Amino acid sequence: MQLPSATIPETELHRRLQGLDATLLPLKDRAAALDRFLATPSGRQRPSRFWRVDLDAIAPNPETISSDAVTVRVENAPDRVVACDLATAAREYADLLSRAFGTTDAAATKFGALARAFAGTGCFVYVPADYDCAETIGITYSVASNAVAFCYTVVLLEHGARATVLERYAGGANAFVCAITEAVTGESSDLTCAAYQRLDAGARFFVTRAALPGRDAKIAWASADFGADLTVGDVSATVAQPGIEAAVTSLFFPTGSQHVDIVSTVDHAVGESSSRTHVKSAAAGSGQARYLGNIRIAANAQGTDSSLRDDALLLSQRAHIDSVPALEISANDVKAYHGATVGALDEEQIFYLESRGIDRTAAERMIALGFFEPAIAAFPTETLREGLREALRAKVL
Amino acid sequence: MSDQGLRIAGLYCNVAGNEILKGIDLVVEPGKVHALMGPNGSGKSTLAFSLTGHPQYDVTKGTVTLDGEDLLALAADKRARAGLFLSFQYPAAIPGVKVANFLHAARQAERPGDLPPAKFRALLLEKMELLGMDPSFMGRYLNDGFSGGEKKRLEMLQLAVLAPKYAVLDETDSGLDVDALKAVGESIGALRASDEGRDTGFLIITHYPRILQHVKADVVHVMIDGRIVKTGGEDLALRIEREGYDTIREEIGAIA
Repeated sequence: MQLPSATIPETELHRRLQGLDATLLPLKDRAAALDRFLATPSGRQRPSRFWRVDLDAIAPNPETISSDAVTVRVENAPDRVVACDLATAAREYADLLSRAFGTTDAAATKFGALARAFAGTGCFVYVPADYDCAETIGITYSVASNAVAFCYTVVLLEHGARATVLERYAGGANAFVCAITEAVTGESSDLTCAAYQRLDAGARFFVTRAALPGRDAKIAWASADFGADLTVGDVSATVAQPGIEAAVTSLFFPTGSQHVDIVSTVDHAVGESSSRTHVKSAAAGSGQARYLGNIRIAANAQGTDSSLRDDALLLSQRAHIDSVPALEISANDVKAYHGATVGALDEEQIFYLESRGIDRTAAERMIALGFFEPAIAAFPTETLREGLREALRAKVL
Repeated sequence: MSDQGLRIAGLYCNVAGNEILKGIDLVVEPGKVHALMGPNGSGKSTLAFSLTGHPQYDVTKGTVTLDGEDLLALAADKRARAGLFLSFQYPAAIPGVKVANFLHAARQAERPGDLPPAKFRALLLEKMELLGMDPSFMGRYLNDGFSGGEKKRLEMLQLAVLAPKYAVLDETDSGLDVDALKAVGESIGALRASDEGRDTGFLIITHYPRILQHVKADVVHVMIDGRIVKTGGEDLALRIEREGYDTIREEIGAIA
């Protein structure tokens, strides 16, 4: 199995690549991905007065990398849908898997490259043509405490297919969790890919979510990152076919000493397409967040209709949220809306509720919870939405 | 009892350092309707906000009691729980908070545990029908994207649902069309005819006498430049409708 040492440098992390599933991904490709992880800057916020984390200095401890660090559970997959672990997919559905696995930009980011290098534990979901999957397919990653865990989800929808996939990330006290979700969809398909991250305290979570939708397809990302001490997220949609409707929803709410750093990117390479980016965040305690929202519209992407709406709520003096919208528009016949707010709770809103007998604390809670409500509607299943509300209630206190 | 009523005595109030109210004396008795009229900028809305305890309205002198309770010593939410209600001219929009949940929270705050949820819902639907409001209002976000008329109807719905001891209506009639005004009048009439609202005292703040065609005022006050300059019956409202505020202004000038 071992390749000549000339091609595989002998760092401890590289040595840990050996013995990983070569059917899924050959060792030399893994090594190349790991090299990219080591060589690529995070492109993230540098440590400063407000920001205490140096993302460029973060790497997993090779000693604690283990294949049983995470268990995967799949629920609600109908018979006509393939939903299996990645190793099985590599053996039994190699042709299908290869149409999606590694075909998006997911491994282009620093931590996406790391997740690709260690690809192993994960799930492949395949929905055949014109099949409307009414049930929400659930994928739950349960991470062991203190572990280094890699989670890799691949979703492939054929033309005309419709599906909703919900990933959950749980457990993982003090763990290092590095995840990828790749979504590749066919013409006129409709995919909603939601993720709810509620990892335990001490966890560090690095997630890259990338989509490559087909012509006239609808693609929706919806992510809620409420757990872990550190969340570094990268969510993107590449709009390379006309008629695509892309939606990106992101919720996060650092409290205590949590850090969240999210980058969203919608790349309109062709015109006659639309995208909606909707971010709702709050911070309390010493919680810190940074959000960078990219909308890129190429010169020939005429007739693009895009919007970026980003609202941040600061619930304590020490909480901090940096919000940076970045619109790069090279075409001239486009609609591009952008709006952002950062601020404390509105005193007039509080007074209005107080004037109806509701005490100040309850009024603040109602307004803060209501703030997230329009974005919660983007998430599938009433159970999940109620779970999100419950988590928010605990955070707002 | 002598301490019954919403009793305002010698009330002075500053807004952003400017003295707006310059000694207001006014008593609204239980079950009575008082109209407070006056030109723009006379201080009518300032009186409304100073009663409810808005933090930007700084009461510098005077007293306000509600059935004997010192209102000025209470925070805004406690004033509401004591039985005071203000219908806002420009109520705040609160996205994400559904009308039904808000109304339930308000009713619970002011009348804890008095109605099981099913009965409360029935009460809401009944009051909404009276105001010509579609039941779909319940699922909308509070005042978010509401038209001016919808906001006013929602204020009146809250009045009906909360049935306060004293209600201050700040220009509820402004911006309402004839039908909406009629519905508002009927809703107030229904409240006053109910057991809950029989003793509700009203202070109706308005520019124009037209709302008084739908809600008959027992007493009419005219406010100019932070003072109540004239008090009378319905005929005073009719006079304002005929002559405007100028002749009253001249009268005061002549006295002073």
